[in-house]
Amino acid sequence: MSWQFLLDQFAAQFGLWWIIWPAILLGIVIGILPGFSPQNTLIMLLPLTLAMPVEQAFTFMVSLYCANHLSGGIPAILVRIPGSGGAAATTLDGYPMTQKGQAQQALVLSFVASVAGGLITTLATLALLPWLSQIGLVLRSVEMVVVMLFGLTLIAVIAAKDTLKALIAGFFGLLIGVIGTDHIYNAPRATFGFLELYDGVPLVAALIGLFAVSEALVMIEEKLIVSEEGLARASGSQWAETVEGLRISLQKWWHIVWTSFVGLFIGIVPGAGASIAAFVAYQQSRLWSKHPELYGTGIPEGVIAPEAANNGVTSGSLVPMLALGVPGGTTSAVMMIVLQYHGMVMGPRLFQTDPGLAYGVFVAMAVAYIFMIFTILPLARYMARIVLIETTYLAPIIILITIVAAFSERQYLFDMGLALLFGIIGYIAHKTNYHVTAMLIGIILGPLFEQYLVRALRISEGDLTVLFSSTLGNVLWGLLALSLVLPYLRKAKSQPAANGR
Amino acid sequence: MSSRAPLGADLVIPALGLGFAAYFFVDIAELGWEAKANGVLIGTALVVLIAVQLARMALQLARGEGSLRADPLWRPPEATRKRLGMVALSAGFIAALPWLGLTLALWLAMLLALLIMGVRKRATLVWLPLALAAAVFLLFIVVLESDFPHGPIEKLLS
Repeated sequence: MSWQFLLDQFAAQFGLWWIIWPAILLGIVIGILPGFSPQNTLIMLLPLTLAMPVEQAFTFMVSLYCANHLSGGIPAILVRIPGSGGAAATTLDGYPMTQKGQAQQALVLSFVASVAGGLITTLATLALLPWLSQIGLVLRSVEMVVVMLFGLTLIAVIAAKDTLKALIAGFFGLLIGVIGTDHIYNAPRATFGFLELYDGVPLVAALIGLFAVSEALVMIEEKLIVSEEGLARASGSQWAETVEGLRISLQKWWHIVWTSFVGLFIGIVPGAGASIAAFVAYQQSRLWSKHPELYGTGIPEGVIAPEAANNGVTSGSLVPMLALGVPGGTTSAVMMIVLQYHGMVMGPRLFQTDPGLAYGVFVAMAVAYIFMIFTILPLARYMARIVLIETTYLAPIIILITIVAAFSERQYLFDMGLALLFGIIGYIAHKTNYHVTAMLIGIILGPLFEQYLVRALRISEGDLTVLFSSTLGNVLWGLLALSLVLPYLRKAKSQPAANGR
Repeated sequence: MSSRAPLGADLVIPALGLGFAAYFFVDIAELGWEAKANGVLIGTALVVLIAVQLARMALQLARGEGSLRADPLWRPPEATRKRLGMVALSAGFIAALPWLGLTLALWLAMLLALLIMGVRKRATLVWLPLALAAAVFLLFIVVLESDFPHGPIEKLLS
């Protein structure tokens, strides 16, 4: 790959601005609305992308995908409703910033971290593609089982006030995620007799219920989302807030860089996805911070880390698709279908047979991120105004619109009812500190966890000790145990000191 | 107001978890091991975690640090009325959709929701439900051609 080749690729992609911009705008809109996933939008637009020349089709798909990852953080920050699972960690510090009247600043931090994180990891992927593609091969089913349990445990340990309650919520979510037919016999399990649950619990209905509906039911208690002191700041916010957000982002550039790489590496693992990446980055950010106690109270690092990682995943998730022919997630699976329709054969040979496409995907991604920052940054000031709407109006709009959106994934009225049910469960969990995010991540991971666990057990003919048979897996088990024990050890260590004082 | 922790509210999620795990175990009892291995592992872990939580709560009760109150779930009372109203309204909205169609059902639901929330300004009660229903009609029925049930409005405008 020569510099001239890369320059030609960039020039060609900039020439496709007329495709990139509509895709970005569409991606931003669907990212803001819970229920509109990029994969469903791409599926709906299949007639369009299949009719386009292949270069234009992948530029369109990639731009929409990246914009979607970026904008999922907008409702997470403004109303604590993540637009997608990947933005769930952004609510932890993004929403408290909004309550303090710093919504505009939080949005700018999120946009800059997303774009910079996405751009840096895309360029890194371009340079390291042949080596990165090997990472997905190292993790087999045994390690994947531990990775998922590790992800869930991290959420419980870092994000929750009460680890035990968060673990209960997470395992409850995992068990809900098992609802549906199994992979081997196709036998229905715990479906309560509903045919609509044979394919499992619809993730959009769970996301909408646990976050949007439950949050709207909680917000009814207050007149506004923002606190009284936050209101003065939010209502008087000027362009200076945007500039301040940019200044803080530049100050924290190293934080953006390393957390985006966390996203890149996790994104390469097929199925791991943005939700785990964002939480791992958040946890690592807190672990290495000089003031970990401030996380969760509304600090810039708590927004930067999950957003940079969440967008680092975008390039990472395309690596296994292009290099191995294994899609890293549903969106990349849809992209793969379109590319295969055009006669492209994914896998290691793609880099020899069609380097323009293999590397062009990442160049398109980089160009899309550049376009995105200029499109979305000026909008932060106006988006932040949403927090000034009284909950008397906001709560009914959120509840009714998101319940309608629950229909969009599978077109079943049943899913709307399910979203309402999850809303009630989410409300109870909110009020009693059983972590709803852990529950949602459990539901997301449930089917994948089963797939890897059953694969590992079938290979070992049902022997459970297979879960402790690999060195890497055992290291991960050790880290998992350590992450559970460490907070108690720290607490025990700090208590005598505090008592002494 | 008692300063003891309201543990009654804390029991709801564990009770739901235990109930669901029990139903899961009964439902998968006859299946092959591949179909139940995952559920058994996760369900057992969930039951163990809930048992630890219950033991912790029992200890709190024994020490006099907690009570079986569940009032955090329905506090403050004025918000609870609105909350229950919104849940009932949402259920009614979903039930009425097949007969009224998306646009009319949403217009009616939004109007009633605003009334439940205490809005009495006539202008707002007119334009907000109308604007929301029109926007949803344009997005879901016209642009996305979703399979929402069609009612009188959709039939009139089709």
